[in-house]
Amino acid sequence: MPHIVVCFKWVIDETYLRRAPGGGLDFSSVDYKLSDYDRNAIEEAVRIRTALGGTVTGITVGPPEAAKGVKDALSRGMDAGVFIADPAFVDLDPSQTVSLIAQAVRNHVGPFDLIICGEGSGDLYAQQVGPRLAEALGIDCVAFATQISLEGGTLTAQRRLEGVIEVVTAPLPALVTVLPEINTPRIPGVKDTLMAGKKPVRTLAKGDLGATGGPRLQTLAVRAAAMERACEKFGVEEAEVIRFVDALKKRGVLA
Amino acid sequence: MAVLWIFSETTASTKELLGLGRELISAVGGSITVLMGPDGEGREEWAAYGADEIILLPPLADGLAMEAHIPVIAAAAAEEKPDIILLPATARGREMAPRLAQRLDTGLCSNCVAVRWSGGDIEMDRVVYGGAAIQTVKFLTRPVMATVAPKTFSPPVPEEGRSARLRELPPLAAGTVPGVRIVEKREKRRLARDLTQAKVVVAAGRGLEKKEDLALVEEVASLVGGEVGCTRPLSEELHWLPTELCIGLSGVSVKPDLYIGVGVSGQVQHMTGVRGAKVIAAVNRDENAPIFAQADLGIVGDLYEALPKLITALKK
Ligand SMILES: Cc1cc2nc3c(=O)[nH]c(=O)nc-3n(C[C@H](O)[C@H](O)[C@H](O)COP(=O)(O)OP(=O)(O)OC[C@H]3O[C@@H](n4cnc5c(N)ncnc54)[C@H](O)[C@@H]3O)c2cc1C
Ligand SMILES: Nc1ncnc2c1ncn2[C@@H]1O[C@H](COP(=O)(O)O)[C@@H](O)[C@H]1O
Repeated sequence: MPHIVVCFKWVIDETYLRRAPGGGLDFSSVDYKLSDYDRNAIEEAVRIRTALGGTVTGITVGPPEAAKGVKDALSRGMDAGVFIADPAFVDLDPSQTVSLIAQAVRNHVGPFDLIICGEGSGDLYAQQVGPRLAEALGIDCVAFATQISLEGGTLTAQRRLEGVIEVVTAPLPALVTVLPEINTPRIPGVKDTLMAGKKPVRTLAKGDLGATGGPRLQTLAVRAAAMERACEKFGVEEAEVIRFVDALKKRGVLA
Repeated sequence: MAVLWIFSETTASTKELLGLGRELISAVGGSITVLMGPDGEGREEWAAYGADEIILLPPLADGLAMEAHIPVIAAAAAEEKPDIILLPATARGREMAPRLAQRLDTGLCSNCVAVRWSGGDIEMDRVVYGGAAIQTVKFLTRPVMATVAPKTFSPPVPEEGRSARLRELPPLAAGTVPGVRIVEKREKRRLARDLTQAKVVVAAGRGLEKKEDLALVEEVASLVGGEVGCTRPLSEELHWLPTELCIGLSGVSVKPDLYIGVGVSGQVQHMTGVRGAKVIAAVNRDENAPIFAQADLGIVGDLYEALPKLITALKK
């Protein structure tokens, strides 16, 4: 029965980001969420466990506040969590995140059959942690899967590339990153949330793991993307629609 | 002086990377190497487009995918120490680049949208927080690596009479063969249309109730001489339209004179792909939909009422 490891991230909900005077970002009213596409990663792990048995262990790296994310992720059907927590674990670059996850998997998770990552995280969307982690652990990697199945020690995955769909196989253990179309994530109910509080979570501190090495990239600036627009509204009555078309013509964008 | 490597997947992406590569190299001097599969298809052109050297990768055994080149490329890069390695931000490039970066223990800027030299260092811009912000990074390790968003850089003007050295890389002596095997390949129909070049783009969103209703959006598009695009749920969840038509963070960026979003809520991951439009218009029945705050002109109303009226008005 497979042991599936799924990686998820607790991220800033970008809908609460505002443009600060001066062009930076205003984080004052931000909220956090489980990275959108990691919900698909968790759902896929739980779907396979429901079909084949086994266990699902979720792993995240983040600051202590990400404990909320661990609980959220557990409410989506995972069996156990590994929480790599330290106040310094914010804004890590993908290579550092990978170093921490790889060490935790090797030393604290035990044998596994499959690792599932999301296609990309909601904040960085670097699409790096999955493929890098496969290399760090020396296992095969299939990125951007739209369908996966496990049978007799083999992963079969369908992946979508530009202009072609490939069906591939790989021996287990292996790592896949999944596209959001692979499934529809569940919405946890009250009972799921209550049960999540009873599931085992192993918290690993900085001292439980070795060094990550320094960052490979340095962020020089983060500035809000500009979107200055006229914001003129029209009704749906015939006269209004004609006025809308005239406005487009006046701006010279309709022949 | 800098040595820049480009991994070639398709002809179009290679030309764009050569465009960027030449821009970078012309500022500091150096050379450009294109690495490609053993068939070398299309390579006669690369010298004119700016390649100084072409490296042919060793043949792959049956059933192996392009990613099987990773160990050979990584070993060559570890030995020859290029300063910069660029890959296209195609699905293949987005998988291969982080795996190579991990093997070379270096940083990677994913989906780079702008590049410049600044005091001897390379700086790159990329999109973060779904498109709400632009992050500028510099590299603390070498080689500098990036995947480059398609259609971001133009191919260079070819220069006749240039030539490029050709060499082959041998297979690794003690190479481990990856376990991933292709068991089936299905070609998808390629789209002839190119959204990124369209003067008008009409984007369909989840406000449409069923696939057949796309006909309304198509009619509007054809009346204004435009192309139909869509939001990600339409191409990827509902499969109503091909992926190439998805606009946004994980799709294409468009820069038409006019963009009209129909039944599109205007979430940042989609809107980041239409920032380059001269005029943004919207049709949405929810007056509080975020798209209205990012549009120049918007009709607040049901699309099933608005589009027939719009079609009539456009026909006049
Ligand atoms: C990492 C990441 C990357 C992403 N990349 C992309 C991307 O590249 N492109 C992309 O598009 N999305 C992307 N998304 C998804 C994005 O966040 C939104 O979910 C998506 O854009 C919403 O699509 P929509 O506007 O069609 O649907 P919805 O948000 O469901 O909006 C539908 C809208 O239609 C309106 N409506 C409903 N009925 C009617 C009617 N009868 N008449 C008029 N209006 C009506 C509603 O008021 C609503 O505003 C990404 C998400 C993540 C997390
Ligand atoms: N801090 C983290 N903790 C656990 N998993 C992560 C973390 N960051 C990224 N991942 C995983 O890697 C995927 C890709 O992230 P990224 O490379 O940041 O786009 C995510 O969808 C997660 O599955």
